[in-house]
Amino acid sequence: MTKNGKPAMTGREKSELLWGWLFILPTVIGLIILNIIPIIQTIYQSFFKTGDFRKGNIFVGIENYSKVFGDAEVWQSLINTLKYAIVEVPFSIVIALVLAVLLNRKMKGRSVYRTIIFLPMVAAPAAVAMVWRWLFNSDFGLINNVFHVHVKWVSDPKIAVFAVAVIGVWSILGYNMVLFLSGLQEIPGDYYEAAQIDGATGIKSFFHITIPLLSPTIFFVLVTRVIGALQVFDLMYMVMDKSNPALDKTQSLVYLFYKYAFINKNMGYGATIVVLLLVITMIVTVFQMIGQKKWVFYN
Amino acid sequence: MKFKKLTALCLAGAMVLSTVACGGGGSDSGNSDGGDGDSGSSEGGELSISIWDTNQEPGINEILADFTEETGIKTKLTVVKWDEYWTMLEAGAQGGSLPDVFWMHSNESERYMSNDMLLDLTDKIADSDLIDPANYPEDIWGLYTHEDKYYAVPKDVDTIALWYNKTMFDEAKLDYPTADWTWDDMFEAAKKLTKEDGSQYGLALRNDNNQAGYYNMIYDNGGFVIDDDKTKSGWDDPKTIEAMEQVEEFIKAGVMPSMETMSENGEDVLFQSGKVAMVLQGSWMLAAYRDNEYTAENCDCVELPKSATTDRRVSIYNGLGWAASANGSNTENAWKLIEYLGSEAAQKKQAELGVTMSAYTGTSDAWADSADFNLEAYLNMMDDMVIRPYSKSTVTWENEDNEILKDVYTGDKSMKDACKEMADQMNEKLAEE
Repeated sequence: MTKNGKPAMTGREKSELLWGWLFILPTVIGLIILNIIPIIQTIYQSFFKTGDFRKGNIFVGIENYSKVFGDAEVWQSLINTLKYAIVEVPFSIVIALVLAVLLNRKMKGRSVYRTIIFLPMVAAPAAVAMVWRWLFNSDFGLINNVFHVHVKWVSDPKIAVFAVAVIGVWSILGYNMVLFLSGLQEIPGDYYEAAQIDGATGIKSFFHITIPLLSPTIFFVLVTRVIGALQVFDLMYMVMDKSNPALDKTQSLVYLFYKYAFINKNMGYGATIVVLLLVITMIVTVFQMIGQKKWVFYN
Repeated sequence: MKFKKLTALCLAGAMVLSTVACGGGGSDSGNSDGGDGDSGSSEGGELSISIWDTNQEPGINEILADFTEETGIKTKLTVVKWDEYWTMLEAGAQGGSLPDVFWMHSNESERYMSNDMLLDLTDKIADSDLIDPANYPEDIWGLYTHEDKYYAVPKDVDTIALWYNKTMFDEAKLDYPTADWTWDDMFEAAKKLTKEDGSQYGLALRNDNNQAGYYNMIYDNGGFVIDDDKTKSGWDDPKTIEAMEQVEEFIKAGVMPSMETMSENGEDVLFQSGKVAMVLQGSWMLAAYRDNEYTAENCDCVELPKSATTDRRVSIYNGLGWAASANGSNTENAWKLIEYLGSEAAQKKQAELGVTMSAYTGTSDAWADSADFNLEAYLNMMDDMVIRPYSKSTVTWENEDNEILKDVYTGDKSMKDACKEMADQMNEKLAEE
């Protein structure tokens, strides 16, 4: 048997293989039922003009796709989504990183600070959005009243998407920080001691020791945050009313999907929009995977 | 790690809170069926009921308690906000898990009826001693009839009236609005009630306030939104455009808060917080204005203005229906509940509790006494009613209309162009039905 080039499996290997599969089976089943099958169904649906309550679907080929590509609303929503991501991702990462480094030292009340920063993560996103909706309110909101300004934070088309992104940064900060903290604790203290002896300042060791050694964690956070930001929906949905004049310039692709699929009951068109989002997300992620070779260090 | 423990503690705390909240809800419904639990349990599970209006929740709960007392059938009421309500119902319909009994609205009824999602009530109504179709407005039956079969029992009717802030009228030394007002009178008053510093506006009429707002003006003026066959839009009818151009005048004259302000706060909130002097609102808003201290003290309502040219005063009206799931596990009990809710006694109680006006003829008079406002106005508006324009895809074209109107409010489009655009998109969607 060994002559065929492939070594035969020993009994032990066989049993390990069996048990290995058995252990990942629950996850695999969950993934297939909850993710893979719906993805296939969504792609399938995007080729149909769907009937009421998923009855009487009519096959329309690529008609939905040609409509999506010609739909200015879809492209505007894509731009909105990208604008949101461009604000949310870098700010949430940089601020969380700085906070993580500051809170990684021995200090008084450390866990209190950590908990406070993590709290938004525990609060229901809908509740968070409702609170911010009142903070941002242009007539009665706290922000405008405290600073005696009259900025239409969430109804001026020019700034609304950024105001929403601020909420996004605030609510994800704690989660990113926890991931960075766990990454920081993996870095051995010897490096810093050695650097200190060589005369490196705190800032220098941050850029030359912390960042390179933390880069796998930063990369992980970056990839997941980009994907998360491209899927933003709840903030726009909760903060902005349907009659909001800034909605056109703020709604994300997922919001548009929701509008078509669940309000206008046009599942097929909605499905097409999310397939577009899926493709864009995959392209962005592939580029990040290629790019990581340049700056991520695995030791 | 201390930190982990703390987080876990917070999470656990949140969970405990939510279970306590659920338990509270459960014991509430437990109280309502009191002592006769043993007779009820043999009937099998409780009926699930879904509605969307929190203002009506307390009143409906009271009526449901009466029902449980009479029949021993337990009920559980869930309130879901309007937008999510239809998403929930849609998902329930697809997955075969609709609530046993729920509210139906003219915007959506046609889709649900034509797809056999609702329980056919025709024979049951024919056999019933309590429900006689002649006792309810014919148009409302029309909303819930498909191919000559009944799919819901009318719950209520709603009409529209003009709400105004008495204090602001006093301050500006203006006479209160009367039933003889025309739309022009309202406009003139709105101008005088608007303060230049933006602290007070005469009127709020949002781009999506169709039923309580500009639809009334359109029909007053002899225009229409949809023709009787539901095949053609009336947005490009000259009379419709004429009426809508009056709305454009309101916008241009600056008697209303900016679009941004109205979208962030809503007409009702602006009215309740003393920012605007007049709003057009449906009778379903009563509970909100009655329970708000400011409006209860300072505000009142009056019949809608009429058109100066045609002298007509229309109220767009609508009525919800109680419907049941076609494939529910407990359709017998569901029907019993619907029959009870449509009966004269329950309809009367609904009016007395001030929940809404009731659909059953003659039961609404009690409603007018349920609060210290001039609620007679709403009853008087029943003299000339037009049913809220609807078709199978109402939601789709109505939302698009609202989108287009936004541009008129922000000044990017003239009302005339917007009306043409609305007619085009609506005709397109009607052709697809």
